[in-house]
Amino acid sequence: MTRRILLVFAALVIIAIGLAFYALQLRRKVARDEQLAAQQQIAIAPPANGPSTPVTLYVASDNNGALTKTEMNAVLPAERSERDRSILRGLLELYLQPQTSHPIGAGADIRDVYVMGDDTAIVDTNSAFADAHPSGVLAEELTVASIVTTLNANDARIAKVKILVNGQERETLAGHADLRRFYLASNVGQATKDVP
Amino acid sequence: MSLFRRTSRRYLVVLAVAAVIATAFVQRHLVVHAQPSEPSQLTVYSPQTTYSVPVLEKNGQPYVGLVELLEPLGTVDARPDGKKYKLRYTPPGGKPREAQFTEGKDKGKLAGNGYKLPGNFILQSGRGYIPLAVVPDVMLRLATLEVEYHPASRRLFAGNPPERFTLELRKDTTSRLFISFPAAVNPSISTEAGHVHFTFRREPVIPAGADSVKFSDPLITGATFSEQAGVAELDVLGTAPLMANFADGGKTIIVAAAPAPPPPVAQAPEPSAQAPSNVPVPAPPPQKPSTPRFLVLIDPAHGGTDVGAAITPSLAEKDIVLALARRVQRELANRGIAASLLRNSDVALSLDQRAVAVNAARPALYVALHAANTGRGVHVFTSLLPAANLSRQDFLPWDTAQSAFIDLSGSVAGSVAAELEARKMPYTTLVAPLRPLNNVAAPAIAIEIAPATDKVEEIASASYEEQVAQSIAAGIAAIRGKLPEVRP
Ligand SMILES: [Zn+2]
Repeated sequence: MTRRILLVFAALVIIAIGLAFYALQLRRKVARDEQLAAQQQIAIAPPANGPSTPVTLYVASDNNGALTKTEMNAVLPAERSERDRSILRGLLELYLQPQTSHPIGAGADIRDVYVMGDDTAIVDTNSAFADAHPSGVLAEELTVASIVTTLNANDARIAKVKILVNGQERETLAGHADLRRFYLASNVGQATKDVP
Repeated sequence: MSLFRRTSRRYLVVLAVAAVIATAFVQRHLVVHAQPSEPSQLTVYSPQTTYSVPVLEKNGQPYVGLVELLEPLGTVDARPDGKKYKLRYTPPGGKPREAQFTEGKDKGKLAGNGYKLPGNFILQSGRGYIPLAVVPDVMLRLATLEVEYHPASRRLFAGNPPERFTLELRKDTTSRLFISFPAAVNPSISTEAGHVHFTFRREPVIPAGADSVKFSDPLITGATFSEQAGVAELDVLGTAPLMANFADGGKTIIVAAAPAPPPPVAQAPEPSAQAPSNVPVPAPPPQKPSTPRFLVLIDPAHGGTDVGAAITPSLAEKDIVLALARRVQRELANRGIAASLLRNSDVALSLDQRAVAVNAARPALYVALHAANTGRGVHVFTSLLPAANLSRQDFLPWDTAQSAFIDLSGSVAGSVAAELEARKMPYTTLVAPLRPLNNVAAPAIAIEIAPATDKVEEIASASYEEQVAQSIAAGIAAIRGKLPEVRP
């Protein structure tokens, strides 16, 4: 009798450990799925029809703390703020590639770009953009600078840029770069070395 | 039948036990670390500095971190290796001594001799912890400092004995209590009906005589000293409102009757002031003549719950920058430059709190220290100022405090960069929209250290931090003549 109870007890303990392990796996899977889902959301293709236009991206590199001017052609929406948003999403997509020169957090995205008074762009990013952004002065400064410079390069009338997170003002991007201020495109140029 | 019932009851018991075990397992895996309650601290007074070390309850007794304990005093090189933990401590200008312990064991080595701890050594996330009870002994053997320890208040006097103050009641025309200290003090003072209360947070003071003294005096009737939670307090009791004045460059505090409040209607002042009122009069601030001085304020960024960047799972930015800040302070001291730290323990400060504290301290130079895993080498930053031609609604004046100093800040950054260059260290100079740099009304730079090579953990190595600290200090020393001294 006692032996049987012991056996049952041992079996139950094994089941308990198994359950705990399963719970752990579940937790990891949920995290992975969330990441994947977020990445897939980003990979929304721009409209396939319409003329292809040249786009200039200022791509950040962590190793030399510089922005590199990169030209490409893309089909973009006609509406101005939608166009600006598509360009910035293209920039973030580069940063989300595994071999990127400037990694940012998985799931980062641009929710909207609002153009106000012709010369001011409000860039509304999603939570993952800030919450999962690598923390550091250089890392955050390069992200801000590449967004502001890229916007200005493709929409020259944009002189001032403000970055929001999930529709809200934030104190900093990830503990360092000031997000309460408006950035001047002409001013941000001094923040980075421009590598042609 | 009864057998069956007994058996099924046994099964139920077994099932319940298994369920408890299962719950425990699941909780261990699913629950993120529970937040401990507000940690207490050990206050260490050393000849160089006063600092606090967090005291953590582990295995049912108080523990402190070895690195946190020793780092403010000298150079610490700690190397966790599996379950083993080796630490080498070098006092300024002295010979290194080693400690060696093993996770979960109470036997170890201290300065070449076998040593038994009153509890097991704890190694967590690469940090070594020893029981609080052996701290005086460790300070003596490893740091070769004579120590006096007050366990009830967790105050540890290392290197120098506590500073003893005397109380002397003088009865001239009116009674005055003279409190005399061997060195200048700067306690916070509060007054309330018949009390003056002094709180000493940084001073290693204790009374030369008894803790509690009674005077047979109609005005000042007694004084009581107490110490708790790393803080010393002195309460002077009177029969009328009292006030405190500083004399002798802050080495003497004189407690006397507070003057009567001014009458509501203008009258000729009475020649002899009396103090019959019950209205408390706050003590005036210390009256010291302020002479310009050159003070560097070092700000190890982040702290407390704000850990900053996670360089590796066990290396947090907040700890790396605190260690670096202490090194920079020592290197500056070696070059005859006074420096203080905005935080000298693991405390949280908001960006606004930092800016306010920096501007209140009126430093000749502000240096913020950061660490990150982005890029390679040392990043030297000055502030990216908001452009001057923007309208007022875009920027508060608070955000442009740095504007007047940006040229000097640039000179300091250049000087530090030149020293990094001379030491052949990889570096980049940049401009960044970093808070609270813009709010600082003084020359200001920020330094962010990243690993110099692909070996990320070397960011915290003694040799790398030493080279960075030397570059910063040498860069500041070289430009010192161009930076104005500031009246505190
Ligand atoms: Zn930082």
